[in-house]
Amino acid sequence: MENISANRQIKIWRVDVREQQLAISPTPDHWVHLGGRGLLARILLDEVEPTCAPLGPRNKLIFAPGLLVGHMLSSCDRISVGGKSPLTEGVKESNAGGSTGLQMTRLGIKALIIEDAPTEAGWWMLHLSPAGARFEQADDLVGVGVYDAAPRLLSRYGGHVAIALIGPGGEMRLSAAGIQNLDKDKVPSRINARGGLGALMGAKGLKAIVIDAKDGDKPPIAHLEEYRKAQKEFNKALLAHPQTKIYADYGTAAMPRMSNGFGGLPTRNFSEGAFEGVEKISGEYMRQILLQRGGESETTHACMAGCTIRCSNIFGGEDGKAIVSPLEYETIGLLGPNLSIAELDDIARMCYQINDLGLDSIEVGAALGVAAEAGLMQFGDSARAMELIDEIRKGTPLGRILGNGVVTTGRVFGVEHVPAVKGQAMSAYEPRAIKGTGVTYATSPQGADHTAGLTIRAKVDHLDPSVQVDLSRKSQINMACYDTLGACIFAGFGFGAAPETIRDLLNARYDWQVEADILQVLGKETLKLEREFNLRAGFTSAQDRIPEWMTRQPLPPHNAVFDVSEKELDEFFNW
Amino acid sequence: MRVIAHLHTILQRQTPEGLVRRLEVDLPGGSRVADLLLSLEITLPLDAILLAVNGRVANPEQILKEGDQVNIMPAISGGGGNLGTFSYD
Repeated sequence: MENISANRQIKIWRVDVREQQLAISPTPDHWVHLGGRGLLARILLDEVEPTCAPLGPRNKLIFAPGLLVGHMLSSCDRISVGGKSPLTEGVKESNAGGSTGLQMTRLGIKALIIEDAPTEAGWWMLHLSPAGARFEQADDLVGVGVYDAAPRLLSRYGGHVAIALIGPGGEMRLSAAGIQNLDKDKVPSRINARGGLGALMGAKGLKAIVIDAKDGDKPPIAHLEEYRKAQKEFNKALLAHPQTKIYADYGTAAMPRMSNGFGGLPTRNFSEGAFEGVEKISGEYMRQILLQRGGESETTHACMAGCTIRCSNIFGGEDGKAIVSPLEYETIGLLGPNLSIAELDDIARMCYQINDLGLDSIEVGAALGVAAEAGLMQFGDSARAMELIDEIRKGTPLGRILGNGVVTTGRVFGVEHVPAVKGQAMSAYEPRAIKGTGVTYATSPQGADHTAGLTIRAKVDHLDPSVQVDLSRKSQINMACYDTLGACIFAGFGFGAAPETIRDLLNARYDWQVEADILQVLGKETLKLEREFNLRAGFTSAQDRIPEWMTRQPLPPHNAVFDVSEKELDEFFNW
Repeated sequence: MRVIAHLHTILQRQTPEGLVRRLEVDLPGGSRVADLLLSLEITLPLDAILLAVNGRVANPEQILKEGDQVNIMPAISGGGGNLGTFSYD
């Protein structure tokens, strides 16, 4: 297959929600080598005024499958969604598994750019297929949670389609709202959670996007034999990696005991780093009870077709009926220890409600922690936590405060202890105990986000401030590239052991001649583009900081403060 | 000397009383972390294990003391940085 064909069959789809029109155009030359997160940053810099209002017509909502998406390469079919963040007011990319990315590539979509704003109130469903785009009224789905809306859409459009949709949270334009995608079992549980992209989709008047590739072709591969060879090597490395088996059995829920072991498990609104109830929220315990409960429970579950790691799960109750899928570490951490709740069943029920509302469980969990410190609930009172989540569903003023995230909640209730950077809640790693991840929180253009560069598995002293900037930088560059490839963080088990396969897969698929340093090249380019967007949006080094109270108030059990110097943080991008 | 070992994920022990992941282990004074691993018959390669003593990343050669809490976590370095190589020999 020819070079031009491999690169050019993939097009830019532009949807104007004011005129309800679709325009399909070739991919500009300087966008071709990018995908996923890197492409989002490029498009944002090229087309979105960085100082624009996030919920206004000048912002754009962009979907971009990663460069490797489309062939069910294990753990490499993720969809990146982005725009100017309604939460951080900076650059935003949030990626998810599920089937949205895969189906978009089968329509030949390099990026879907949703522009402008509707002139009238009302909700729409955007349908994309080989016939183009059409809008249908979706007013019957207003206020409907994602778990009810998704099957209704599937029965209307067929079980083969992919769907990206928002819940009531996105309709209310809450800054903790995300966009949910169907997993391989058609459950809308794979969420582009972070940064309020559901609010942005709500501002475009879209309740759902249905992607019907019908029998669309997989994206072209320029050199099939070489591609298959590289794929085989990647799969071999992934399967041989000891961590692959651990994640199949325990998933990300293996983390509570590890974080706790380092004194870095956020407990009671980030006031302690170890939780007395850690055993009962651990992945080891979860696996035991799920195996005992049986029924619909699954300890090993794939979120994307073709994944060999299958780190997801289905959490069933005592009656064996599914409560939620998946139950992941960050959710466990923020809704568990952070609220002093040690019952997985309670955490799972809260997670279901938060998902159904279409909200980010990290942001909501952190907001509830601040709410507890403010006296709106007692730490450990899961029934009250559930009532507060229900306030969000009802759209009460209190609910909307919580649904706008941890910073808004802290400000309204006068709480100093707000665990956030650039307006976005920290995930379940305490920056005072895992300082490299603290550097990531501080310096990532995305705001506090562990997926931008987690450091807990590095064999360094996590309390020593002198080694953390370098560590975080390496991790952030790697992650920015994985997110550009559409690769899950755990695909890194394979790519880490066989890094040359990234080069070989890209060269074989696209007839490129990239070198072995492509991981670094794409990662650095992506971070620099994101940083540039934020600088143009008005960000300064003042935003690259861990909250001041964390530099002053010691965290038990190590009694550590965040003490990586501001000078070092400011050197982060000087590589 | 008695130390507490916290065994993670695949290192848990199946016993007649069920799965065990917290063990109290008696060791001679002056024992190293590596001696604890040997006494627990942990056969994973050392580069596939993350070790923490009292919440801080530890080297297998570190000398243990009474009451130490040792987390033994099957994990691979995720972002560079290494405390050096070590073998059981």
